Amino acid sequence: MQVFKAFMKVLRTRLSSVLPYIIVFLIISVMMSTMGGADEKFTATEMTVCIFDEDDTPESRALAELIAKDNELVELENDDDVILDSLYYTSVDMVLTISKGYSERLAAGETEGLLTTKHIHDSFAVAYMDQLLSEYVVTVDSYMAAGQDLSEAIASTERTLSQETEVTVVSEETMSNSEYFSNYFRYLPYIIISVMLNGLCPVLMVMARKDLRYRTNCSSIRLSSVSGQTFLASAAFVGAVWLIFMVAGVILNGGLFSGRAWLAVLNSLIFSLVAAFTAILVSSFDVSDNVVSLITQIIGLGMSFLCGIFVPMEMLSSGVLTAARFLPAYWYVRANNMISGVEAFSGRDVMLFMGIELAFALALAVITLLIRRMKYNRAESVTA
Amino acid sequence: MENTVVKIDGLVKRYGDLIALDHFSLEIKEGEVFGLLGPNGSGKTTTINCLLSLLSFDKGDIQIFGKEMAPTSYDIKKDIGVIMQNVAVFDELTVYENIDYFCGLYITDKAERKKCVDEAIRFVGLDDFLKFKPKKLSGGLLRRLNIACGIAHKPKLIILDEPTVAVDPQSRNKILEGIQELNAKGATVIYTSHYMEEVEQICTRIAIMDKGKKIAEGTKDQLKRMIKNTETITVEVLGLPEEIVPQVSELPHVYDCRYDGSRLTVCCSGGKHNLIRVLDVLQKNDLSFGRVYTELPTLNDVFLEITGKALRDKED
Ligand SMILES: Nc1ncnc2c1ncn2[C@@H]1O[C@H](COP(=O)(O)OP(=O)(O)OP(=O)(O)O)[C@@H](O)[C@H]1O
Ligand SMILES: [Mg+2]
Repeated sequence: MQVFKAFMKVLRTRLSSVLPYIIVFLIISVMMSTMGGADEKFTATEMTVCIFDEDDTPESRALAELIAKDNELVELENDDDVILDSLYYTSVDMVLTISKGYSERLAAGETEGLLTTKHIHDSFAVAYMDQLLSEYVVTVDSYMAAGQDLSEAIASTERTLSQETEVTVVSEETMSNSEYFSNYFRYLPYIIISVMLNGLCPVLMVMARKDLRYRTNCSSIRLSSVSGQTFLASAAFVGAVWLIFMVAGVILNGGLFSGRAWLAVLNSLIFSLVAAFTAILVSSFDVSDNVVSLITQIIGLGMSFLCGIFVPMEMLSSGVLTAARFLPAYWYVRANNMISGVEAFSGRDVMLFMGIELAFALALAVITLLIRRMKYNRAESVTA
Repeated sequence: MENTVVKIDGLVKRYGDLIALDHFSLEIKEGEVFGLLGPNGSGKTTTINCLLSLLSFDKGDIQIFGKEMAPTSYDIKKDIGVIMQNVAVFDELTVYENIDYFCGLYITDKAERKKCVDEAIRFVGLDDFLKFKPKKLSGGLLRRLNIACGIAHKPKLIILDEPTVAVDPQSRNKILEGIQELNAKGATVIYTSHYMEEVEQICTRIAIMDKGKKIAEGTKDQLKRMIKNTETITVEVLGLPEEIVPQVSELPHVYDCRYDGSRLTVCCSGGKHNLIRVLDVLQKNDLSFGRVYTELPTLNDVFLEITGKALRDKED
């Protein structure tokens, strides 16, 4: 295990440039977790909603009133351009159209296609409102199925939903706890990629130094053994870094992860792989230490700003977000947003996003192989 | 001089358009200290790298210990020790750790390795620097570390590629003595250099190469016999009359005579009593002279005569 041992010894000399990232991140996380609990209180997410009531019956007006209780209603000209502009410039968050025949169809027990909503920017509030509306219709329907007439059913539903809102408030409060927690996972990719680029990358560059590679190739150690030990050592480093963050996460969380948080754990492991392969790719270029640290900054900060790590995605322009799709961190953040409830959760989408991250890792590995092959062929070395 | 250790046959190596090695052949017997002498860029390192299968080559055949050499010839490689021209050590590891690392590429048994590493350290005299990082070592000590890393596993064939570049004379002598000691213990040595004095001092046989070609090969005496120069006589004399130079040139065995205003240089080829005859001419003309010295031919003269240029630049 000579190569493995040498790898670790070289790594030890690089720890000084890696530990600050880890320590500062953990300190900030601790600070956020101790302050977070006291300060964060639930504030009802108020939206600006424009309602076009095409039905204009007591029933449809009852629904509009219910919405008006917790949200601000605005009037808009019923024109597609105006609506789109308003949505785009967020002077209105959501446009709700109550279809003609709403009350009749509701009375007939229909629940589909009664209400249409339009929105551009995804947010938790929008998702919540969508859910509330469909719940409203379904609840009215079930009260009628239980024998109440339409106006009774609407009154009961309003009562039920306002009770549920209180329940929601409670669960909202635990959400804010997990919101802190989602912050932990949100900033994690920046730290992981910084640690990989500052820690793993320089070590790999030393191990691949041409004179050392030549010298090692002269010896009787098998090439497969050299690669195997290098791989093992890299994997140990990546695993250890990830484990440190997970253990820290458990400690800060005040207990083992539960439920969807495990998905966040998986997501961070997958991103660690992406980060490791990024570091391996960068290490394949013959560049000086200074250039590497420049590349490191560009990749670390660039990804973090573009992909919603430092700035929430809601605040990024659609152009930036489109570009960010070509970066793996974007998919990490999307998955993390769903897991932590910033976006409406969809298990399939979360899996898809993680799959895309894995595809990035694979692509990086392939590019690395091609570059190394080209490089060693150019050096006309047969033992590369 | 029994077994052939290294056999290179018709080696051709191109870097694009540049022909670095042009049908280069070589045979090295067990127990030799073989010198590969050539100016910068003549292809010494390329030869070594091809020999070690570090580089692919276009044509030719290489055998070591009687077996075909290939990148995967681990059984051959285990008996070779390599000291690269560029010091190849980890800057991040200490002197001890470096030697242990490279020795460990060959010897996996811990106790045996420790013995070998300790021996190598004593051999190159780095005992006081075990905990030093290479960056903290002087040029000479660094070269010694490089050597220790190459020989710790007790190889049968030791290849040294210009191991004394940028080393002070004292360290250089220690290194040369060390190489002879390793040879005395049974190792076959290949030594490349562009310092002819070194090669003359330690090598039993020498190949001179230029522009990828072998231009001469043999023991140093054989090489010197190949050229017509056998003796160069220099006399310090001021105000030499013009007619003297032709007179000296006419002496038997003299093939070249020059005067530069303060020194008369006479090149002779064979014969005896050349010095006496030259001084005789001066005396007869009643000329007084200062220092007189004669030099036997050096490998530089050999190189000069074969290629028409000096082996290395004066400032080297
Ligand atoms: N990787 C390479 N690509 C292209 N040309 C090369 C390469 N390596 C060496 N050469 C060329 O091949 C020739 C022989 O080089 P080599 O390094 O073998 O010479 P050398 O005798 O070891 O010289 P030195 O005394 O400077 O070490 C030189 O002209 C050199 O420029
Ligand atoms: Mg060389």
